[in-house]
Amino acid sequence: MLLKVRSDFDSLSKKVNGKDLIYFDSAATTLKPNRVVEAIEDYYKNHNSNVHRSPHTLAGEATTMYEDARDAVANFINAKREEVIFTKGTTESLNSLAYSLSKDLNGEVLISTLEHHANFVPWQQLFDNVIYYDAENGVFNEEKYLKLVNKNTSLISITGQSNVTGQEINIKNLVLKIRKINKDVIIVLDGAQLIPHSKIDVKELDIDFLAFSGHKMLGPMGIGVLYGKKYILEKMKPFLYGGEMIDQVSIEKTTFNVLPYKFEAGTPNVGGAIGLAEAIKYLESLNVNEVYSHIKELTSYAIKKLSELDFLDVYGTKDTNHNSLISFNVKNVHPHDVANLLNDLYGIAIRSGHHCAQPLMKNLNVHSTCRASFYIYNTLEEIDVLIEGLKKVNKILG
Amino acid sequence: MSIEDLYTDIILDYAKNKKFKKEIKNAWHEHGKNLSCGDELELYVKLEDGVIKDASYTGHGCIVSQASASIMCESIKGKKLSEAKKIVQNVLNMAQGNEYNEEVVGDIEIFEDISNYPMRVKCFTLSWHTFDTVLKNAEVKKDD
Repeated sequence: MLLKVRSDFDSLSKKVNGKDLIYFDSAATTLKPNRVVEAIEDYYKNHNSNVHRSPHTLAGEATTMYEDARDAVANFINAKREEVIFTKGTTESLNSLAYSLSKDLNGEVLISTLEHHANFVPWQQLFDNVIYYDAENGVFNEEKYLKLVNKNTSLISITGQSNVTGQEINIKNLVLKIRKINKDVIIVLDGAQLIPHSKIDVKELDIDFLAFSGHKMLGPMGIGVLYGKKYILEKMKPFLYGGEMIDQVSIEKTTFNVLPYKFEAGTPNVGGAIGLAEAIKYLESLNVNEVYSHIKELTSYAIKKLSELDFLDVYGTKDTNHNSLISFNVKNVHPHDVANLLNDLYGIAIRSGHHCAQPLMKNLNVHSTCRASFYIYNTLEEIDVLIEGLKKVNKILG
Repeated sequence: MSIEDLYTDIILDYAKNKKFKKEIKNAWHEHGKNLSCGDELELYVKLEDGVIKDASYTGHGCIVSQASASIMCESIKGKKLSEAKKIVQNVLNMAQGNEYNEEVVGDIEIFEDISNYPMRVKCFTLSWHTFDTVLKNAEVKKDD
């Protein structure tokens, strides 16, 4: 069922070389609904102030709005409000976590070559004992992955969905199996690509940490979330030191604020948090199941249509676990040239490059790919235009 | 300006022409890469008495970067280092949409429109920046 939301996005009225914009780059960042832009504007016009500091009216309004945003996030992922830490985005969430844990964890850390760099490099750089699961042809195999989990595994960080192959991983099932092997392992979910179209319930999934960005789920850039189980967050040392995260500071010693403020040093991105909360309200108004069905319908249609083009290489699985984005290459044509022609001739915005996932590029035996990613405002007709565009590109350069 | 202005037949011919796509033994060798897209270039420049006797490249990239490397090798072959330096400076100016000397740039002017494609400028300049590094290294060597 396609969603009737296009009028909520002014960006979609943009013309590119006289053509209607077709935005297939939502895995990089989504377009923003007008009400999110208006919520941010309203904050900066009417309520802007620093938070948690002064007793004046504006400070009170800003603080209330900021903390209401935290409640909105907490409800969205089924967490306690003190478990929701605002960050700049997925990258900062994962880096902060890795830094905070790096001195206290002694066992093995398990990551995979499916990860984008934000969920690969911090662990690689900060931990001595990292175990790598190497996906075959970019496909995650649960059985082979679980063979790498043992009693000595201290942390596992895994994506909920690859940003290159679009493969969704059954996290609930995976966590259950991991816990059977080692109940104490810390499980981190990178939800950057999954949360825009899937319900993530941290309690139901029984994950210890969740990282995601606002800008991939209709919110503004520069705001993200690190969720963590309260009892672990309480034991963890903060990574960033500064204003608001302290309790008492003296020459002799510093003690820290309560959760979640212990992990939110400095002036936060209040406007960003308000924008994210508005995005959540908007997504909830659409119904998460309908959002999921819509993205699924678009993806299935696109996989079917793209697979019919014999001049394309399509990466990843062709099953129902493949969702929301598709990576491909036009044979013998560089992805940049494909993306440039699609943009200039058809107004189609796709991503080309290594998608900040070089280990996976190596795994797929390519340097880079084209990636078309779909979201709530896309239509089946737009995918037809992509197919037409790819045929044209192949005619010109193939 | 349309995309056809960028993907002219001449540029496509340069990109597909393998004449300069090879390794040269015992030559100055420099590695260039565009970090954001993963394109890489190996540039080989054979110098004799301050003259570029031969130039070639290997690596992978889009049509713009491959054609640019190909036409660059053709343009600098046989030039003195001082002449090549002038070409690099003017070509980089052209790519940025700044003033440049048409005579010095010569046939490379077919890429004049690249400045209108800001996302492709780095594809075009990869080989030129790599060559610029070769020139700077050659100068350091000369001063040693």
